[in-house]
Amino acid sequence: MTAILEVREVVRAFGGLRAVDEASFDVEAGSITALIGPNGAGKSTLFNLVSGFLSAERGTVQFEGRRIDRVPPHRIAQRGLVRTFQVPRTLTRMSVLDNVLVAATRHPGEQLNGLVLRAGLARRRERTARERAAELLALFRLDGHAGDYAGVLSGGQRKLLDFARVLMAEPRLVLLDEPMAGVNPTLGRQLVEHVLRLRTEAGMTFLFVEHDLDIVMEASDRVIVMNEGRVIASGTPEEVRGDQRVVDAYLGTAGAP
Amino acid sequence: MSTIASFGFWSFVGIVAGIYTLFALGVQVQFGFAGLLNFGQVAFMGIGAYTMAILVVKEDLNMWLAAGCGVALAVLAGLLLGLPTLRLRADYFAITTIAFSEILRYVATNEDRLTGGSQGTINLAGIGKASQYDGAWQSFLGKVERNLHVSGDAAMLILVWTVALLAVAMVSLMMRTPWGRVLKSIREDEDAAASLGKNVFLYKLQALAIGAALGAVAGIFYAWQFSFFSPDDFAPLITFFAWMIVILGGLGRAWTVPVGALVFGIIFAGTRFFDFPPFSLLDSTERAYVRLIVIGLVIIGLMLFRPQGIFGSRKEMVLE
Repeated sequence: MTAILEVREVVRAFGGLRAVDEASFDVEAGSITALIGPNGAGKSTLFNLVSGFLSAERGTVQFEGRRIDRVPPHRIAQRGLVRTFQVPRTLTRMSVLDNVLVAATRHPGEQLNGLVLRAGLARRRERTARERAAELLALFRLDGHAGDYAGVLSGGQRKLLDFARVLMAEPRLVLLDEPMAGVNPTLGRQLVEHVLRLRTEAGMTFLFVEHDLDIVMEASDRVIVMNEGRVIASGTPEEVRGDQRVVDAYLGTAGAP
Repeated sequence: MSTIASFGFWSFVGIVAGIYTLFALGVQVQFGFAGLLNFGQVAFMGIGAYTMAILVVKEDLNMWLAAGCGVALAVLAGLLLGLPTLRLRADYFAITTIAFSEILRYVATNEDRLTGGSQGTINLAGIGKASQYDGAWQSFLGKVERNLHVSGDAAMLILVWTVALLAVAMVSLMMRTPWGRVLKSIREDEDAAASLGKNVFLYKLQALAIGAALGAVAGIFYAWQFSFFSPDDFAPLITFFAWMIVILGGLGRAWTVPVGALVFGIIFAGTRFFDFPPFSLLDSTERAYVRLIVIGLVIIGLMLFRPQGIFGSRKEMVLE
């Protein structure tokens, strides 16, 4: 297996606190990798570092063999690494359909010069984008709401909309920040099934932060465990489950080491 | 004939409303569509007006060419303003835009040799030589009058509103394109837009520049309409008039701007007919301030009962 994402000794501090402290790990292409750890372990900071929303003070991040640790977020997304946020970033005063359409890639109609100089191409791209957006909305059973303002959707539907939007962006690596938080179990199951199917059918790689360890153990091939900004363990779910450091991180060490 | 029934008076109100439509449409593009808090819109109006006037008087440039330069320079100024400031948080950006417009106004006031200073455009050619920049415009207006068989006021009204409505139509069309969709997504949540591969900074810069161009066009019509102006015409209050218009009409839609501008213009001009008690106790200068109070009250009332503006969407306002 080759690594699609390589994180090497990445450091990011806020004030005196090293939120991410020389964290290193790989994400294998085609894998479903979970990133777990207690609150404050640095998972969200790490997501922001990888997706370009924060810049690392030290260390490197490579995606498909190219450095992305000094690349702005939109360029990282354009290269095929797309993230979601813990709280869905629903574009509330736009239609559900527009929320998905806006994620279309390589759309000449999104540039002012493209609108004028490549009008025909822009129109054709818009047509294919609309077809794909309709497919995705149907897949997530949001097609009934296509014309509604996205602001009327429920919390769970917003999670689905975020997911549909990410897929519209044609990613090869998807970063999901707590995809199951605030989602009812039935919907959660559906999301897991979507992830499994997309990995098999489209060869997508997933890296996700999740607190529900049952889901982590069930859905992931590999687990990375963080604590206090460091990666303290990684391996298959079974390996990680038996690791004493992981147990300590979650339960606290008994007595002095 | 009394003022209230005179065509001359109301056509003046209409012309000013047309100019303000162009001016406030810039704010609508910047704030209503891209979410940019530009409190310095008046600077672009000033740049358009001054560039045109200076080039005509000092360089003897063709009026249309000079007007084109005014718009181009405003766009350039918008880009220069945006490059260092658009990465700032929204509130900091807002403060820098006020500073920008005030700096330009002070420069215009003090750079006598370039702008005529506080005496305004009459002093453009230097002391003792009364200058005038709108000769070519007046003769063009005369031609329009003769060809359309209308009065001078009517010709100006037609010209301003033709340009204003064309601009409204164009903005409206642009917002329906995928480009407009990206702009709105930035207004809604710029991190989300960036996470989906959109170059937020570039789009903001474009919105700022388009708004600047519209402000400059408004400034050029303003200069032609009044045949004279000075730096005081570009005080921050004028920017806030544009904001009032956008809020009155409704955010996020292009065609609400001319409606807002007309309502604003009618309130603004209409208060001069407040010659009954208690207003008759005030002299005319004092009464001029009453209109600002009235507009303030209208906006407060609107925020209370119709926060979406006259034609905005209530549904959009309550979405979280």
